Amino acid sequence: MSSQVSSPPLDVEMAGITKTFGSVVACDDVSLTLRQGRIHGILGENGAGKSTLMKILSGLYLPDAGNITIAGSAQHIDSPNTARQLGIAMVHQHFSLVPALKVWENVLLGDTGPLREKLARKKITEVSQHYSLDINPDAKVETLPVGVRQRVEIIKCLVHDPRIVILDEPTSVLSPAESDSLFKVLRQVVSQGNHCVALVSHKLNEILTATDDITIMRQGKVVTQLATSRADAAMLAEAMVGRKVNLPLALPEDRIYHGTADAPNENAAKPPTPPAKSPILSIQAAKACDTNGAVLLDSLNFDIYPGEITAIAGVEGNGQSAIDQLLSSLLRLDSGKVEVDGKTVKTGKPGAFEQAGVAVVSEDRHDSGCVMDMSLAENLFLANPQEARRGGLLQPKVMSARAQQMIEDFSITASGPQALMWSLSGGNQQRVVLARSLTSQPKVLIASQPTRGLDVGAVEYFLDRLKIAAEAGLAVLFISHELEEILHVADRILVLYAGRIIGEMPGQDVDMRRLGLLMGGIDEVPHSGVTHGATSGAAAR
Amino acid sequence: MNQSLRNSSDWFAGFLKDTPSFLKHTLYDKWLVTGLYVVSIFSALAVSALLIWATDGSWRSVFSAMLDGSLSNPGRWGATIGESTPLLLVALGTIISVRAGLINIGQEGQLLIGAAVTTFIAVRIDHPGPLILTLALLGGLLAGALWAWIAAGLKYWRRVPEVLTTLLLVTVAAQLVGYSLKTTTLLLDRSPDHANRNQVSDKIPANIRIPRLTIFGNEFPLSALVAMALAVVLAIWLVRTATGFRLRMLGMNQKVAHRVGVSAVKYGMAAMAVSGGLAGLAGAMMITGGDFGSYTFTAGFSSFIGWEGLLVALVARNHPLAAIPMAFIFGSLRTGSGFLAATGVEREISNVVQALIVLALLLPPAVLYARERRKLLATVKART
Repeated sequence: MSSQVSSPPLDVEMAGITKTFGSVVACDDVSLTLRQGRIHGILGENGAGKSTLMKILSGLYLPDAGNITIAGSAQHIDSPNTARQLGIAMVHQHFSLVPALKVWENVLLGDTGPLREKLARKKITEVSQHYSLDINPDAKVETLPVGVRQRVEIIKCLVHDPRIVILDEPTSVLSPAESDSLFKVLRQVVSQGNHCVALVSHKLNEILTATDDITIMRQGKVVTQLATSRADAAMLAEAMVGRKVNLPLALPEDRIYHGTADAPNENAAKPPTPPAKSPILSIQAAKACDTNGAVLLDSLNFDIYPGEITAIAGVEGNGQSAIDQLLSSLLRLDSGKVEVDGKTVKTGKPGAFEQAGVAVVSEDRHDSGCVMDMSLAENLFLANPQEARRGGLLQPKVMSARAQQMIEDFSITASGPQALMWSLSGGNQQRVVLARSLTSQPKVLIASQPTRGLDVGAVEYFLDRLKIAAEAGLAVLFISHELEEILHVADRILVLYAGRIIGEMPGQDVDMRRLGLLMGGIDEVPHSGVTHGATSGAAAR
Repeated sequence: MNQSLRNSSDWFAGFLKDTPSFLKHTLYDKWLVTGLYVVSIFSALAVSALLIWATDGSWRSVFSAMLDGSLSNPGRWGATIGESTPLLLVALGTIISVRAGLINIGQEGQLLIGAAVTTFIAVRIDHPGPLILTLALLGGLLAGALWAWIAAGLKYWRRVPEVLTTLLLVTVAAQLVGYSLKTTTLLLDRSPDHANRNQVSDKIPANIRIPRLTIFGNEFPLSALVAMALAVVLAIWLVRTATGFRLRMLGMNQKVAHRVGVSAVKYGMAAMAVSGGLAGLAGAMMITGGDFGSYTFTAGFSSFIGWEGLLVALVARNHPLAAIPMAFIFGSLRTGSGFLAATGVEREISNVVQALIVLALLLPPAVLYARERRKLLATVKART
């Protein structure tokens, strides 16, 4: 602002930005200003609208309403190309690199005109020297570890000499040391050039250490905007999850409503003394990496007990999918073990968990939940087709009869037992998956993001079913990004962060401030009794 | 989901695996499909006629010669059935691998190896009758299965795509067979008057041949009935048994299959063995049945049956029962083209007719599949 150079300061003003997807308001009248020479942190839970907002700025989405002003002149950013011409570059959460290509080839991706290998190499060398980002332009991306790949992404973004850099959860695959060096580079970018940087994150620590300004979003709205110097972790956490909980917490009355299991008694006994019961499922020191070497699970420990709903809270991408896959026999552990009902289950072996009595309503029903090209009836018999066998052959009539029963019991809307799975709506597909899982009489039911993409009515139905199942004595593990749902059903909450459980609390009278801190990766009491207890309990066995 | 649907190779795989759901669809769909079939087959014939006319032939005489050769002349049904039998067996083998999510396109090689082993057993073991015939047929079946297992083993051990290995193994098989036909200790005819002549094997002894039936003056080998029975068994097995159900599940969604305990390796290896085994059996029954090479094994013995069987499976949309009539249609094209010489039109024209008919038979299901997919995409989009 003080500079008297010909161009005005490169501030980016987003004013009154609104974007809806169907009935969901992703951004609701959001305004924020990125200032030149400063790093602006945007903090929020999943679905808070941060990514949508940044995608609008980078031209991937068109806003329904609102204006964007860059350096004082109004801009209409209608495509990523326009954004690029304006000097806006984005580093996405998921890598946009082609593994089989070399670094310099990846950097050139998306450019137009002739391939200029020499120029590309020169630029890469310049950028990597300038920001001390060590890279070999001739290395194939698939041979590089995750941290270095992220470096390639950054270089790819910086070679175009952008004026406005957006980073969407850039550290989700990085180790703390790698994250630190990334932030050093960012600091260099803003202090040396006339840049401004937007950093989207859910990690409280990095927002506090790496940024100058903070905008906190919740459910599509801006909750707070302030300078980082005036912020502390507790207040950020509270603002992030804070008063979101308008839904009445699951009260004892709600629980008794469903029937026999005597809730008050359980509630009183449960949180302090879970070890009294023996766990039905126990994950001990589980470690796993993906094919790129990124850590999925890092010494994960937890136990699940019959008759209660254990919920795993946490921001998406902290290991939830890995737990889902592990318990679906789709992931093999590098070390550690899983016990079901006292017996060790071999991880990654086809059908191992299914046979051990673990039923999973998985995160992605299209991918691993049901067979879309088979009929509803067939989908109910995936695990045990022999149950429809009479006289040596499968009997379609038996299948149909069972399916008809399920259609009634679970209020599934379908044209009939023979309806192909893909002809059902998402909510009804999920009901079929649930019906199959519950009728296999499992010992443990894993519900991983079961309500994703479902409408409100379906969500309510689903959560109700989980509660009923737990009251009937089943052990339920509920993994969700939706805090509201977790608070609604959980008897016990575990917080997952970077592939391990960093805190545990009872499902009633939740300390929202502590929950928010834990989800942001900060454990107030570093070695809290509960966490410690769980670990030593596992070790003792 | 969206992503995978847009992926074109998935589209093709989906198209291959997809059950002909038009059987389950509305009346309107059925009429649409029937109409499409009529129109596309008619167009194929019209284009064929046009091509014949363009090469100075008479389409009338060509079509009537093909009909004479395949169906209308006395006894030609038998010949057509004889040609159709190995086509059907190869097609059944293709179907089982596709249903398991594997693409075995090396049937030509598996068939050659099967036929070679059968010939070896039949001419080199000096023992009479049915026992050796059974042994020879079993040998052919096993040899085909083992040949396919090379590809399957490489797939599960080293993740080499089976599409490539099965295909490349055809060449290896052809070379092996060629070598054995030059070597007296293996297959080359030992009788002095044949020595060093063309590469042919001994003639299969008369008591090691598959019996031939004659119905209304049409003569064909018993193996035709075996092949049809196998088609029925396979159809029932796929739909009505737990293992068949699991195999289909594996082909449609490998992750779900893994979750519920279907091992891709076990089922995949088994499917490849059966697939190659059926191709080997096709070869075995060709050499002992009499319709090919008059009971002697030669280098060009397979006469593209292994390739055309793939097409039969393709137009049958991977349904074992549908493969029976489709194999018959392809068989008639083969026998029909034998009568083309008299018309002065090149024999190759029958290949063109065949190709056009394949396209005509594939078009309606493809149109329908594209339609269903569009519907599916629309519903998926509406949900997200």
